[in-house]
Amino acid sequence: MTKILFSDKLDNCVERWKSAGLTVIGPVQRANISTYAAVEHASEFDFGLVLPDRSIKDLFFPQSEPMLRYTIKKESIDTDECLPPSGPRIIFGARPCDASGMAIDDPLFGWDYKDEYWFQRRNESVIVTIACTKADDFCMCTSLNMAPDSTKGSDILLRPLAGNKGWLVEELTNRGREAFKTIADILQESSDLPAPLAVVEKKFDLDACVAWLQNPENFESRFWKEISMRCIGCASCTYLCPTCHCFDIQDEGDTYTGIRRKNWDSCSFALFTMHTSGHNPRSTQSARWRQRIMHKFNYFPGKFSVNSCSGCGRCSRQCPVDMGITETLQEISTLSL
Amino acid sequence: MSIEEQYRTRAKELLSGGAVKMVIGYGKGSNASRRRPIFISSADDVERLVLDDACITNLSGYLVSEGLLSDEKRVAVFLRPEGIRAINILAAESQLDADQIVIFGFDVAGNEVKALKGIHVEEFSDVITSIKESAPEAAEEELFEKIEKMSPQERFSFWQEEFSKCIKCYACRQACPMCYCRRCIVDSNQPQWVNTSSHTLGNFEWNIVRAFHLSGRCVECGNCDRACPVNIPLRLINHRMAEEVLGAFDHFAGTSKTQEPVLASFKKDDSETFIL
Repeated sequence: MTKILFSDKLDNCVERWKSAGLTVIGPVQRANISTYAAVEHASEFDFGLVLPDRSIKDLFFPQSEPMLRYTIKKESIDTDECLPPSGPRIIFGARPCDASGMAIDDPLFGWDYKDEYWFQRRNESVIVTIACTKADDFCMCTSLNMAPDSTKGSDILLRPLAGNKGWLVEELTNRGREAFKTIADILQESSDLPAPLAVVEKKFDLDACVAWLQNPENFESRFWKEISMRCIGCASCTYLCPTCHCFDIQDEGDTYTGIRRKNWDSCSFALFTMHTSGHNPRSTQSARWRQRIMHKFNYFPGKFSVNSCSGCGRCSRQCPVDMGITETLQEISTLSL
Repeated sequence: MSIEEQYRTRAKELLSGGAVKMVIGYGKGSNASRRRPIFISSADDVERLVLDDACITNLSGYLVSEGLLSDEKRVAVFLRPEGIRAINILAAESQLDADQIVIFGFDVAGNEVKALKGIHVEEFSDVITSIKESAPEAAEEELFEKIEKMSPQERFSFWQEEFSKCIKCYACRQACPMCYCRRCIVDSNQPQWVNTSSHTLGNFEWNIVRAFHLSGRCVECGNCDRACPVNIPLRLINHRMAEEVLGAFDHFAGTSKTQEPVLASFKKDDSETFIL
């Protein structure tokens, strides 16, 4: 016997969590874009999406974050630190690739300086993940040694029942158990079986790719130029990526008063590594694309023992010129044979 | 022979005879409905070229990639009428020498692909004139009509909501053949003319600056609109500006390679005193 949360009871749960002071967030379709956003009622959720266009990263690492306000006076400088808006929240209906993406970035945001913006939000969020029963051409979690029901980064895993009736509940962490205590009486015992998981075909041999990337001889391979010739150098892939985490710090204001912000930045941009002198160590798009792949599958795992990719496929799905990590690693797989 | 085969044959002839150094066209994409830009430099690879109704991306922007045309060799490129207009503008704005461009012209009606006759940009002037006379598709769109009927406040709210979705990935700029500046104004930080933040104000600044910069230059190929990962209907704002320029100056962008840029030129006898 397992605990079941029936779909028609979800609105009661939303009410319960709201009255317990939690902001309830989940996948929604709004203004022609799907994203994770706060809801008032369960009816606003869209569980039919393979995954939202925008990744869950937005909730932990927003595109533009105020860090401090400053006023420069004659003899002093006043500063006023901006901390992230706090408050507990429950993210209901994350996808396993999105939830694991946040766990992948935890060591990055904590290794030298503990990023309080990231960790405050991480510590105040319960992630309730729904296992995937459908996938599209771009899903590639299995190629990254993950699965449509991976639990990494999740506090609760829900397995959908056939016919959208509800979900089997698997409590994974204490934080998840706490949040589900508030709805303990709404859950029901049942012997219903979960619907079959999505079939996500394995698209490349990750170990072979990593070995090829780690071979210093391949750093200057012609492959990089060929694969990225059509790259237009936008940041669609990096900004939709749940694990891409680069940012820039900018002061906005005039000579006397302003605000310091932490804004997303992207290795796809020529400006990303431009020196004050005008020299750019990554002067071509191929060098920039190589950096992105090397960072995710060579440098990041070298430091944190985990690949900086959770297999969501957004990079390929949304690329204006049909590029992406999948194609690049598929090509590398064949090169390394 | 299908148009695809005809163009493959032509590409093979041009490459093997050395008449062009490269053919920029479309190849198979990562699934059945996708096509991707490909660059063919060897006559042996022409079989990779695909031409069907899914070939939508305007490829003209690749021609102004740094260094591509600097050896004065010719490059062939698959272009729809909008792409051909873009070549005219790029030539008029001294970004390329139109004689270096060999055009594989095509158009799509319904799901049928038809070849456009001609090789050099000046041979397509009839096609361009006929587009000027028929209303572009965006004008027939329901959403466009709806926005036109809005009050200024409603229209402002509409664009505020749309621009608030912007993440400043600059896919619109990078996908646009007219955004060829080696350093865009938003990337200039001494001084920082435009906020880099993607808050609502910063997003307004970016999108409005771009809309103005494209006025009288946009060919409405739709590259920006399709590239936008957050689905902002950029085609509508560009179409509105194109209509404005057409009405005020009778200027239809990209009719010839010697067409004077409408907002980057002036006449001494202009009726507006602030001009001189």
